[in-house]
This record gives sequence, structure tokens and C-alpha cells, in this order.
Amino acid sequence: MQPGEIVLEDASRAFDIRGDRGRTVKELLLGKARAGGPPPVQALRDVSLRIEPGETVGIVGRNGAGKSSTLRALAGIVPLDSGGAQCGGRVVTLLELGAGFGRDFDGRENILLNGALHGMTRAEIEERMDAIIAFSELGEFIGVPVKTYSSGMYVRLGFAIAAHIPADVMLIDEVLAVGDEAFQRKCEQRIAERVQEGVTLVLVSHDAALVERTCERVVVLDGGSVAFDGPALEGMAHYHEMMGTVTA
Amino acid sequence: MRYRFLFEQMVRRELRRKYQGSALGVAWYVVNPLVLMGAYYLMFGVVFKVAEHEDYPLFLMVGLVVWIFFSQSLLSAAPALLDQGSLIRKARFPRETIPAAVVAVQAVTFASVLAVVAVITFALRGVGASVVLAPLLLAALFAFVLGLSLLVSVLHAYFRDVAPILAAILLPWFFISPIFFTPGDITGNAAARAALEWLNPAAPFITSIRDVIWGGVWPSAPTVLYVIAAGALALAGGAALFRRMEAELAVVV
Repeated sequence: MQPGEIVLEDASRAFDIRGDRGRTVKELLLGKARAGGPPPVQALRDVSLRIEPGETVGIVGRNGAGKSSTLRALAGIVPLDSGGAQCGGRVVTLLELGAGFGRDFDGRENILLNGALHGMTRAEIEERMDAIIAFSELGEFIGVPVKTYSSGMYVRLGFAIAAHIPADVMLIDEVLAVGDEAFQRKCEQRIAERVQEGVTLVLVSHDAALVERTCERVVVLDGGSVAFDGPALEGMAHYHEMMGTVTA
Repeated sequence: MRYRFLFEQMVRRELRRKYQGSALGVAWYVVNPLVLMGAYYLMFGVVFKVAEHEDYPLFLMVGLVVWIFFSQSLLSAAPALLDQGSLIRKARFPRETIPAAVVAVQAVTFASVLAVVAVITFALRGVGASVVLAPLLLAALFAFVLGLSLLVSVLHAYFRDVAPILAAILLPWFFISPIFFTPGDITGNAAARAALEWLNPAAPFITSIRDVIWGGVWPSAPTVLYVIAAGALALAGGAALFRRMEAELAVVV
């Protein structure tokens, strides 16, 4: 598998939606499921995708279509029931900015912690420290605990860290709309730079304009299956048609 | 080893999260067990004299620090994965760093309190040659505690009853452990004594560590073999179960 290559093969995954899982240790160890209650939701149904290194792919679809599940399967956070999900090289996953920040840590300490969560070593992070701080535009606030940050500052720092992590694949879920308009533009620009460097981008978003600007290829998911896979313009047309939001 | 730095950072965050903004800060980790020891000394050393031992406060303290490390690690490891649920759902990293960081924080406290107790004990009672066994016994204890902590943390993520059950078990467990007595102090019955010594997996750890620090004598060979085996078994078993159950953590927490 080449760095930057992504392969999903007949990926299927169902989620148990009972509020009370009520499983016993015995059932778990024997791998038996309990009967009764609402049936599991099939989030992914035999999804197959092959993405070449350096491609930019937008995943769109209605709520519950399996977009985030696809991303989490690719990131290796949620295992599949059957089929395979593989990403080549270093994968950076952006599902939520600032997840795992220590609220009592200042900005700099959180850069270390968050970088470490993404598998970076101290040397790798230190090397990028100044660039991250500059990108975040936090100025002197970098030295105060993040619990004092506004929500905008919080996500700006989160994005700044993620944007500087060495990666072959970036998986992004709806976290590009960060901060004010100027910062959002900067984020998009940064992503474009990373793509120029050859990073493979998979972006989940409901923002049609953003997907069109950022991605060459679009995958439309519906009910956990691939409904369309092709060039962005056609893909978005298909998506609008499906959603009944075609504008003449 | 790529995640060694993450582990370091998690330990730092854990320490900071607990004691940021308090006047004594990390010192609370040491003050709490010391206060607890004072209370137990009053109860078992002065009020109810269960056992007669030389330098009884020190006798008691060695056992107590071991017990506090054991019980506090398990109690704080149990809810640790749930507490970090948002992180587990959003990022991919080795999940065992979470309970391991919790245990490491407890181990740091344990080591500092034990060092204080040991220095005082050595000053008053002298050092025996058997102290060379201390690193081995402590390593076995750490493996034992880490293994059980991995076990309870992953079990609690699936079955929320684990933490309360654990808390309920630890209380009587404390009283049957040879912390403020030796089994020989409270029963003359050989079978009952053997049961107190061997059926309670915490007992050989307490006894052997007390032997080398307070007693200045060599622990019995079976006791040393027992702690090594218990440490290895707990760690292997805990790690195996963790590995088996960790895949679905992002779904259940």
C-alpha cells in the first residue's frame, strides 16, 4: 500500500442503538448478542472506495448517510463488521478540533499534548511549535490556560496544530468552518497548500460550495451505500437532486 | 514507543487536572495518604490494639502505602476510559495510555510516600541486606496493579457496574489484608492463617515489601515467587483482555 492511498473494500458496519445495552460479561466474552429491542442501524453497507495518493475527495449525503462512519472506519477509530479499511502512510484525523485539550494546560502545553495524541514525538512538535503558534494568531494568549479561551480561540488552536502535522492522508469532518471569515479562508488556504504537497484529502461536509472549491471528486452516500462516485461537479448535481434542493 | 511522549503528556495532564489551582498542588498526593495513616494509627495502634509490633506506626505505614497504591489505582482507573470518552471517540491513539497514565500518577505518589516511610524506617531500625529485593518486589507490584487496572478500566467501559462493585469489594478486602496485623496475630489456626496469607493476592505483596523495608528480613521464597507470578499473570491477563475489548471502545464510551 502506497503512502496516501486509501482503500475501502465492502465495508459494512452496524450500530446497536438500544439505549440500555444490557450486555453481560458472559455474552460479551462468548460474542453473543442479546435479542429484543430496536434492530441495529446499518451505517455502512458494502462500501467500496479506492482513492489514489493526492486525490481530494468530498463525501456528502444526508444526515445519517454514513459519512462520519466512513471517516471513523478509515481512521481506525471504529472497527468494521466486515470488509476492510486501509489508509497508507501517516493519517491525520480531524473529527473535532481541540478534542483532548487539557483545560488547565496553556496553549503551548496543549500543542505538545495534542501533537502527541497524533503520534508525534517531542522533537517533531518542537520543530513546528512556532509555525503553529503563528498560524493560530493567539499571540500572548498562547501562554494562558485554554479554559480562558473563547470557543473561537480554542478551535483555532486545534486547527493550527492539525494543519501542521506531517501527513499522507487527512480525514476531515466538518471542521473547516473555524473562527471568523478571515481565519476560515486561511484554513482553506492551508488545506490547499497541504494538497499541493501531495496529501490525500477526504472531507466530509454539508457545505456544498466548500466541497466544490476543495475537492475534485465527490462521493455521495445514501443509506450507508455509495450512490454516486465521480467528478465533483456531477457529484454535487446528483447530491442536490437527491436532496431536492436543485436551483434552476 | 512512538507513543511514549503521549504517555508522558497524559501523566502531566492527569496531575495538573487534579491539583491545578490548589495551594498545595501535587503535595496533596502525599499529604492525603499521610493523614490517612495517622488516622489508622490512632485507630489500630492506640484505640484497638490488634497487634503488638515494634515501631508499630512504621509497621502500619509500610502496609498502608502499598494498599493505598493498590486500591487508589484501581478506583481511579475504573472510570478513566469513560472520563476520556470524547477523546476516544475522536482520536486514534493507543487506548491503554489512559489507564496506564492513571496508574503512573498513583505510582509516583506511592514512590514518594514509600521513600519517606523507608528513610524514617531505615534511620530508626537500620537496613537489612534483604532490601536488595525491593526493586524486584516493587516492579512485581507495579505489574500487578497495572494489569488489574487495565482489566477494571476496560470492563467498566462496557459494564458500568464495575466501579461500584470494585469500591464495595475493596472495603472488606482492606480489613482482611495483613496491613495492621500479621495473619499470625489474629489466628492460631494454621488453615485460617494460610488462607489469609495466600488466598488474598494482595497479602504476599504487603508482607514481602514489609519484610524488606520494616523487618529487615528475607521474605520467604514462596512469597517472592508468588508476587512475581501474580504480577506477570495480572499484567498478561489484563493486557490480553484489554486488547480483546478495546476495539469497540469508541462505540461504547
